[in-house]
Amino acid sequence: MKDFTATRRSTLKFLAAGTGVLAAPAIIRPAFAQSKVVNITTYDKFVPQSFIDQFQKDTGIEVRIRLTDDQGKQYNVLSAEGETPSTDIVTVTGHRLPQFIGSNLLSPLDTGRLKNWDKLASAYKGAPQLTVDGSVYGVPLLAGFEGLARNTDYTKASDSWAIMFDPEYKGLTSYIISDFLQITMRYQGNDGDFVAYEGKPEEAQAATNKARDFLIQHKDMVRKYYDAGSEVQQMFVNEDIYVGHSWSGPAAKLIMDGHPIEISVPKEGTYGFLYSFNVVKNGPNTDAAYTFLDAILSSPEIGAAMSRQSGFASAFDGVDKVLNDKERAAMSLPQEQTARIQFFSSVNRDMKNEMVDKAVAEIKAA
Amino acid sequence: MVDTTTTHARSAKTAPTPRYAGWIGKAVGSGLYRHTIGRLADSRRVRLAMLAGVPLLWIAALHIGPIFQMGRISFMADYPPAPDGGSAYTLANYELFFSDQLYFMPFVRSLIFAAVVTVSTLVLVYPVAYYVAKIVQPKNRMRALLLLLIPFWAGELIRTFSVIMLLANRGAVNVALRELGFIDRPIPMLYTSFSLSFGVIYLLALYMLLPLYSAIEKIPTPLIHAAADLGAGPFQRFRRVILPLSKDGIVSGCSLVYLTSVGVFAAPLLLGGPNTVIFPEVIATLFHSSNDKWPEGAAFAMLLLAVSLSTVGLFMRVIGGRSVRLM
Repeated sequence: MKDFTATRRSTLKFLAAGTGVLAAPAIIRPAFAQSKVVNITTYDKFVPQSFIDQFQKDTGIEVRIRLTDDQGKQYNVLSAEGETPSTDIVTVTGHRLPQFIGSNLLSPLDTGRLKNWDKLASAYKGAPQLTVDGSVYGVPLLAGFEGLARNTDYTKASDSWAIMFDPEYKGLTSYIISDFLQITMRYQGNDGDFVAYEGKPEEAQAATNKARDFLIQHKDMVRKYYDAGSEVQQMFVNEDIYVGHSWSGPAAKLIMDGHPIEISVPKEGTYGFLYSFNVVKNGPNTDAAYTFLDAILSSPEIGAAMSRQSGFASAFDGVDKVLNDKERAAMSLPQEQTARIQFFSSVNRDMKNEMVDKAVAEIKAA
Repeated sequence: MVDTTTTHARSAKTAPTPRYAGWIGKAVGSGLYRHTIGRLADSRRVRLAMLAGVPLLWIAALHIGPIFQMGRISFMADYPPAPDGGSAYTLANYELFFSDQLYFMPFVRSLIFAAVVTVSTLVLVYPVAYYVAKIVQPKNRMRALLLLLIPFWAGELIRTFSVIMLLANRGAVNVALRELGFIDRPIPMLYTSFSLSFGVIYLLALYMLLPLYSAIEKIPTPLIHAAADLGAGPFQRFRRVILPLSKDGIVSGCSLVYLTSVGVFAAPLLLGGPNTVIFPEVIATLFHSSNDKWPEGAAFAMLLLAVSLSTVGLFMRVIGGRSVRLM
């Protein structure tokens, strides 16, 4: 190898380059805070690329998307950034809002700055999930539920979560442990959302333990515990699983793409959730964030594109008319199944998180 | 004695021929520059110190710094600290690990998994490294090595997904077996201990290959020929000559693979099944859990770091002696 000789010129060049690299964070950090930029942390495929392109062209504001796949991760990153967040908009589910608000991470929404606020479907304007202490905290985007998904080619029809424990599908099921633990509690006749257990930790622990033990007992049913919607899609497509718990969006997307998948709400019921865009407190580009939020509300076509990409139902008015029959069918449920969806509550979240997290670790370790 | 008068006279004669025009030339030619930066840069020691300073600063800021920060968080009672600024320090986060068996099994599983992966990688990669270093003609060695390295140009996630596409029920292996008539139902290979080990060995093979190749390539071929001339069979030649002389590569390769596999996270998450949960996933769950558990996660990460470094240190000392270094 050729020996490196440090000459005066090479030393100075190297130092200049090194200084540039070391100074990079100082250059990058203010780059988040430009009036012509909006930084958005959201789920994959939530914001249509066509909308981003048009928005950038119309306003000159650059949209920078950062992907997340978990509310907890998003909360932790935002908490760690403290008073100087590097994102302007985050995507929070309604029932997790109090956690974000309690940590002083979000600003109440000034709906007066959103000219298109009235273009939301009436059921979602000031939705109770997004209203905390009289203030609205988010622009509702998409609604979904925890459903039972099955491959119709290989499984029999079922209207009960019991199919997840049917020995016929041993090693062919999958679920997100924390979500399915709550569904299992419901399947066992308990309150998986912990609202009924406020102030009753012993009862809550007993119900949690019962579901935990049941899932450990049936661990051999599981092919894989997953975390992201894309994983369950991949497992269904590869036929690694035949039946599983799935958020409605990823399953509906598979149906739209022509895969033999069905999503349903079993008779024991399930939980629903509402995603919203929220303005981050002390975000570097708040004005651009409001411009973005107003633009995204401007037409049902944008809502339809979001639904089409994510598989979740839109909170915008008039989207149904824009979707085609196949897309509508993939996202719609019979009335009696819709009635079985109970939206997650923000009540008693700390107890729920604590007990569910512990049970998840125990199931994994078992 | 040095004739300083002559030196100064020569300096004066050869000095300032500006290499740059404009303000750079003026700056370089200025008295301030020549008496400060220029004077410093004239010294070989200072030049080396300045050169080493940047990477050392880089390593300290971006590699060692975060570990210290994580160590600090691991002793904190709350993270992020309360808005009033008060941070209490505690050992409770470490005590949690020892007080709850829940975390012990994945920890032990991680260490065993890393050991199995390391030994398997060594066994699988050694013949490849030997083939490239000693059997392939010298003129083709670099080409062969390059061919082996090409898959590693792709990122870790891409290679992990390629394993998924290979081993899934509708993946390449099952499809091939079915088309050839060996099976009529897919063999469940993905999301098992097999897929996890296969994937991690594939991901980390490079860390074993390069130190092994480097060590084996340095073994003088006449020594192997001499052993053969003296009647040593292939196994004896391997055991008495090749293996001892490639010890440095084995220790370095094993240390690198062990340290990497004990902390590997993405592959187990994507390739593992319900019974293959290992410790990094437990740590990640603490960081991502609904309530703030960064201090617990940090404490567990520090424990894993300490145990894995100690294990490797012990291994290097016992097997490698004093002379072996990682690279």
